[in-house]
Amino acid sequence: MSPFLKASGVFVALLLTSGVVLAFERTSSFQMGHPGVGMDLVQTNKELEAKVQANKVPAALPAASSDGQLAVDAYKNVQVLGHLSSGDFTRLMTAITTWVAPEQGCAYCHAPVKDANGNPEKDEDGYIIADTNNLHSDELYAKRVARRMLQMTMQINGEWQPHVKATGVTCYTCHRGNPVPQYIWFNGTPVEGRPMIGSNGSQNGPSLKVGLASLPSDSFETYLRGDATANIRVISKSALPDEANVATVKSTEQTYGLMMHMSTSLGVNCTYCHNSRSMAEWSTSPPTRNTAWYGIRMVRELNREYLEPLHDTYPANRLGPTGDAPKANCTTCHQGAFKPLLGVSMLKDYQVLAAAKTQPAKTPPPEPAPEGAPAPEGAPAPEGAAPPAPATP
Amino acid sequence: MALLSFERRYRVRGGTLLGGNLFDFWVGPFYVGFFGVTTMFFAIVGTALIFWGASQGPTWNPWLINIEPPALKHGLRFAPLMEGGIWQLVTICAIGAFSSWALRQAEISRKLGMALHIPIAYSVAILAYVTLVVVRPVLLGAWGHGFPYGIFSHLDWVSNTGYQYLHFHYNPAHMIAVSFFFTTTLALSLHGGLILSAVNPVKGQSVRTAEYEDSFFRDHIGYSIGALGIHRLGLFLALSAGIWSAICIVISGPFWTKGWPEWWSWWLSLPVWN
Amino acid sequence: MADYMNIFTQLQVASPPHAGPPIPNKEFRAGRPFLSKLIGWFGNAQVGPVYLGTLGVFSLICGFIAFEIIGLNMWASVNWSLSEFIRQLPWLALEPPAPSNGLAFPKLNEGGWWLMAGFFLTLAIILWWVRTYRRARAHGMGTHVAWAFAAAIWLYLVLGFFRPLLMGSWGEAVPFGIFPHLDWTAALSIRYGNLFYNPFHALSIVFLYGSTLLFAMHGATVLALSHLGGEREVGQIVDRGTAAERGALFWRWTMGFNATFESIHRWAWWFAVLCPLTGGIGILLTGTAVDNWYLWAVKHDFAPSYAAAYQVLPDPATLPENSKFEVKP
Repeated sequence: MSPFLKASGVFVALLLTSGVVLAFERTSSFQMGHPGVGMDLVQTNKELEAKVQANKVPAALPAASSDGQLAVDAYKNVQVLGHLSSGDFTRLMTAITTWVAPEQGCAYCHAPVKDANGNPEKDEDGYIIADTNNLHSDELYAKRVARRMLQMTMQINGEWQPHVKATGVTCYTCHRGNPVPQYIWFNGTPVEGRPMIGSNGSQNGPSLKVGLASLPSDSFETYLRGDATANIRVISKSALPDEANVATVKSTEQTYGLMMHMSTSLGVNCTYCHNSRSMAEWSTSPPTRNTAWYGIRMVRELNREYLEPLHDTYPANRLGPTGDAPKANCTTCHQGAFKPLLGVSMLKDYQVLAAAKTQPAKTPPPEPAPEGAPAPEGAPAPEGAAPPAPATP
Repeated sequence: MALLSFERRYRVRGGTLLGGNLFDFWVGPFYVGFFGVTTMFFAIVGTALIFWGASQGPTWNPWLINIEPPALKHGLRFAPLMEGGIWQLVTICAIGAFSSWALRQAEISRKLGMALHIPIAYSVAILAYVTLVVVRPVLLGAWGHGFPYGIFSHLDWVSNTGYQYLHFHYNPAHMIAVSFFFTTTLALSLHGGLILSAVNPVKGQSVRTAEYEDSFFRDHIGYSIGALGIHRLGLFLALSAGIWSAICIVISGPFWTKGWPEWWSWWLSLPVWN
Repeated sequence: MADYMNIFTQLQVASPPHAGPPIPNKEFRAGRPFLSKLIGWFGNAQVGPVYLGTLGVFSLICGFIAFEIIGLNMWASVNWSLSEFIRQLPWLALEPPAPSNGLAFPKLNEGGWWLMAGFFLTLAIILWWVRTYRRARAHGMGTHVAWAFAAAIWLYLVLGFFRPLLMGSWGEAVPFGIFPHLDWTAALSIRYGNLFYNPFHALSIVFLYGSTLLFAMHGATVLALSHLGGEREVGQIVDRGTAAERGALFWRWTMGFNATFESIHRWAWWFAVLCPLTGGIGILLTGTAVDNWYLWAVKHDFAPSYAAAYQVLPDPATLPENSKFEVKP
């Protein structure tokens, strides 16, 4: 062999070796299952550090007084948080501003100060100024949506503990400082203009919805929309064919697509919830699968009861390409973490979001005293006195 | 045991790598040599350990016996015997036995005046095994990433380890490895079939020679690689299958931790598409 | 050492291309044979000629039609964008009809193209099989290659024809596409409760790995004996020389058992043939005779059990308070 060949051989070998060494990153592993079963999660330490950075929780605002005047009395047009003390109420309003519209401020939801021509006035930084005398106005759609979102948050914390446990959620779980949560989804656009050739059956193209596999990318529409009725389960409960299971290989691909979404949303792998030797078997599945089961039902309810009905409230630019309202999936809250915000509970500092409360009636002013004994000031209205707040004002 | 008719004149001294004449003898058809002794030692100890492990387990059903590696929490330390320690010892014995076997093959090759293709080829299989139970676990920092020793339990490991990367079929090295396995099998069927068809010709015809082999394959696909070439090709395909298998698993975890389909994003975002 | 290993043919003898033995129908051979020094390093330097014949021509035409149907459908699915076609090619596919279509002939764009592509591809393969058989006969040789090829055709037909037929739906068949056929494979395993517990799948893999092992052993043995003419296998079979003797003794001394220069090719042929044969049986039984291989393994006591590493909870869908979540399609 010529010296040149030898030298280039050594060079290539060095290049390959250094490539391998440079590409290697230290990892951390978490074992889910029995030793040797392979139910592990391997993550690079860099990834883990990035996750910690991406899921930092903002400091809680100082606690406010829970006594004193009720919000329903202190302010006009309080439909959902009327039972709070006005201290708690303003603290929550401040927190929401930092969580949802830190740049835009109060004026993102509350009607602005208007000049003589009816145009909103801006401060020296160019931001619109909210009209503190007109906070009760429902003029802006964002406020009407926000009211519904508060109800949704309380519903999640109150009724969906099988999924969110005691950790709960706040506006920040999804919003993370964005007026519109970063991870929402819309119905896919139907393929047009290929009547004769080239149909792909909503699959066979790279889609981030399914972690870049060529699996069907319509899993959200099929399984997570409010009206979803498709059965996610495809595996038979008996060894031999018994006609009970009508699932096909194609519907299995659809389920697989949903599972790709769940895995990538949570930054985990299939073995986080399944012992893949038998995906279907509950007796060999980690309890996380149980939590996920409720999560799927929760997302469906949120889409059906809260998000999809807001369709008429949104301006057109908030709707999807086919005119549908933005919807939630696993990523909306999880954003790549096995638990949103890595399991840190912000709810514990904002217990006012824990569960929906019956709204008290406005305490009647004492002067024109009605007949009979007037209710003492600040006392809560009798149970069921006020109807639940309407979905949209 | 009777020798083959021609065997006597090949049973000569020499060719050993270690031990000189001391172990240069046969037992029945088996050549011993120094590495025969070490092979026996490691094989017997390893097998006994597996039986011992099985005796401590819940079953003697051969399909179900499972010698499991340590839990990840033991990291790269020795684990207590009943918590993966047996697996560690069996692994040491297996590597010892496999390496001894390869070196024994080298001694036999030398004794028979053969080149060293066989031990080198066998080393690739050892490499794949060592990659699975040593290299990758060391890179990931825990012996617990090795596969368990059991007929169906190791398949559970394969299944779960595949789903750790969401869809293992998208692993490019796995694609290459599987293609090499299939191609090797295809090539083997073609080679086996061709030789058999040459020495088992149409009734009444004489055995076909190499020029018929070449002519048949040229007619068939336009090229005949030839008698020497097919063995080069076969060996290359088979070893490539083993090497790429080792690559496909060693990159899963140490060099890529996400779903394998996501790996392909580099292709989708190449600047040439703009 | 490297010379001794005979990895490359270092001394190439250039002679006029070989016309081969006297056999009938030589006039159907096409292409002027030539010698390639590069190819000669690895195998025979001579490339061509190829026998075309009616079967070959029709097989190639059918194969081309299938290839075009698949390719044009893929291209159309990205709205005829050439760059997107190349970019997304691994993801693209020609998909079989929806399961609801059953075994009917679907509309062209709803699986009809798939059925047509499958038809032409199958025709191409079968024509090629007949050709393989007839070429062997024309050379007065046995038909072992053709029958090995038939084993592969069996697996192909099980996947795309027999099993869909038994399941009553073309939708059960494999799509034509690179990643999509891998999705199909994974989904089939999931739907039918983990193919690793399918004993025929296990056997098929044993023969796949076994074939690879055998070819490594055989290829290495012959190369290691090439300085003694080990590659002249037919000669060694009918008139045993020292290469065959040493090859036999190597394995006898190593593992106590040896094949002969002929019988190793029988081992090889059977291992290679049994891989698709058992694999095809395993696929054919999936969904027709067995619906969940894992549960089948549990039933027949070959699925290992592990101590629970976590709290086991019941299926939430079976809890009475969760009946409100039941969806009726």
